[in-house]
Amino acid sequence: MMTGVSSYVVVASFLFAIGFLGVLFRSNTLIIFMSLELMLNAVNIALVGFSRFNNTMDGNLFVFFIITVAAAEVALGLAIIVALYRKRQTVMVEQLDSLKY
Amino acid sequence: MDAMEISVVTLLAILFIPFVSAGLIMLFFRKCGNVAAVISVTSAFLVGILTIYFLYDWDGVAIHEYMSWFELGGLRVNMGFLVDRNAAIMLLVVGFVAFWIQFFSVGYMKEDDSKGRYFAGLSIFTFSMMGIVLADNLIMLFVFWELVGFSSYGLIAHYKDTQEASDASKKAFIVNRVGDFGFLVGIVFTYWHFGTVDLEVLGLVAKINPSMVSSLIGFLLICGFLGKSAQFPLQVWLPDAMAGPTPVSALIHAATMVAAGIYFLVRIFAIIPGDVLTLILWLGVLMAVYAGACALAQSDIKRILAYSTLSQLGYMAAAVGLGYPGLAMFHLSTHAAFKALLFLGAGSVIYALHHEQSIFKMGGLVRRMPITTITFAIGLLALCGVAFTSGYFSKDAIIEASLFINKNIYVLLLFAAFLTSLYMGRLFWVAFFGRPNSINAEDAEESGVFITLPLIVLAVCSLVAGYMLLWPEKIGMVFWGELIGVHDEVASSGLSMAVLIWSSLTWILGLGISYFFYGCGAQKDKLLEFMPKLFSFLKSRLWFDDIYDFYVSKIQQRVADLLNFIDVVIISGLFVRGSAGFVGLLSLGGRALHVGSLHVYVYWFLAGLLLFGAFVFGWF
Repeated sequence: MMTGVSSYVVVASFLFAIGFLGVLFRSNTLIIFMSLELMLNAVNIALVGFSRFNNTMDGNLFVFFIITVAAAEVALGLAIIVALYRKRQTVMVEQLDSLKY
Repeated sequence: MDAMEISVVTLLAILFIPFVSAGLIMLFFRKCGNVAAVISVTSAFLVGILTIYFLYDWDGVAIHEYMSWFELGGLRVNMGFLVDRNAAIMLLVVGFVAFWIQFFSVGYMKEDDSKGRYFAGLSIFTFSMMGIVLADNLIMLFVFWELVGFSSYGLIAHYKDTQEASDASKKAFIVNRVGDFGFLVGIVFTYWHFGTVDLEVLGLVAKINPSMVSSLIGFLLICGFLGKSAQFPLQVWLPDAMAGPTPVSALIHAATMVAAGIYFLVRIFAIIPGDVLTLILWLGVLMAVYAGACALAQSDIKRILAYSTLSQLGYMAAAVGLGYPGLAMFHLSTHAAFKALLFLGAGSVIYALHHEQSIFKMGGLVRRMPITTITFAIGLLALCGVAFTSGYFSKDAIIEASLFINKNIYVLLLFAAFLTSLYMGRLFWVAFFGRPNSINAEDAEESGVFITLPLIVLAVCSLVAGYMLLWPEKIGMVFWGELIGVHDEVASSGLSMAVLIWSSLTWILGLGISYFFYGCGAQKDKLLEFMPKLFSFLKSRLWFDDIYDFYVSKIQQRVADLLNFIDVVIISGLFVRGSAGFVGLLSLGGRALHVGSLHVYVYWFLAGLLLFGAFVFGWF
């Protein structure tokens, strides 16, 4: 059975929605961070799907970019979160409000 | 070091010794009055000695040494010395008179609480004046010109707790600013027109190309002179400046401030065109008469002398206006000697009488204070131009010089000379003869050597300074030519005798009439009794002060109120506060969005994304 492009898009949208909702509703910075990664990978899946059905390499090219950027982002983001935890002993966004108060 | 370098170093020392002295006193010895006095008098002594050494060593050739100070575009401003004969004579006058006045101050200010401030002021005053004397360009001259204004402000306000002194110092400063503004604009125009502000170059340019000389620039530049030398219409500050200590008045009147104006005129004589010279001439002549008349209605000994200075400055201005700058310098020098003497004599009297300044409360001082009386009399004779005193040679030369140029001016100057001896006679007979008119005058005693020695030295100078051959050749050349020229002209027209008789008549009549009219040791002003209208007219001083007061309080104040309204309501209220309020209002809204919860920001982000998308898809 041949999977259509719509399947890829559906899976990608589903993952993206999970990631987005995670960012919106979770309060642990680490989880939010993982959700962000999930959204990036959702986009990756969609791009790979498009690439395959269009028979071009453009989408795959983008995927490599995104993976690179995501890797860099993880390196930075995790370092920031670790530093944040050391400093404040918490990674809950509700408590990270010193800019406002 | 060659000779040139030595003279430049000497000049630097002459300029900066008073400055260092002032700095030392202000930084370390403010509270130790006696140390300050020693430092200041020593520095003045050094300056005097160095001046004499420099002049002795000097070969009479103008020294012009300079270095670059700063450059603004094409304008290069130098700092430098230009010592020609005029500067040399002025160096001598300032160095000499300033020292004796400082010496006198030691005695006069003995009981003062803030001697440190006072002596620092004298030193900085000397420094500023030396700067004016030596400056080789208009901008440097202007800097020191302002320093003179500043230091006179500080010294006039020495008795700062009295309203009179603080008002007088403010008045002196503000009136001088009016003149200085014209001067400053004049400097800008000079640079624009001539392309230089260097005094020597300006003189050369004017010599090579007389058509370059412009009336407007000349007029603007002499505004500075009108302010500093207190000539029409800016004369109002000088009589009020008497609120300062008496030695300061002597310094201002004899050697520094007002003399700076005349010296400045002589310095830029080459670039003053004929019509401006005529203006200076008439202003000077009118001032000579006006101030003489005003002095008749004054009873404060220092104010009488102040008006006498105005009148003598009128003579000097007239000499410049007649085209005899050398004679102006000559009269400036002799005047420095006898006016310093008169002021210090008045200071001696005031000190002995415990700061009583009204001549009608003096009387009979000749028996109590013989040295002061005799030296004062010598100064007075010199001021009145009695034959063979210094004033006779210098003042009569100016009067004679006018004879061949304009008869009216000759008559007016003679009349001013008559007024001079009239008011000086009035002062002298009333204050020094007759019976004492107050307890203070009865108990008056001659003061110590610090007070009397300067009087004696200056009295000797007042007697002999007029003999031109006593001046060294390299300095005397300033006025020798003009003096001999005027005398020859008078002699060749056979008027020598007539001129001598007329000028002698003025002082004989003046002193005689004042003797018989006022009488010795009078208690009241006879003029006030017999001719109260004339007296109050003279007392009004032609209402100059009233007109200025009216202008300031009624016209200037209204304009200032209007500007204040514009500033407070429109600029500050509407523009500044209004725009700030508007932005503040916006930011209040903006601040409400900033809630401090990360999740809310995600919603904002989402909203922003939707808005952006809406733009992209053209939904707006």
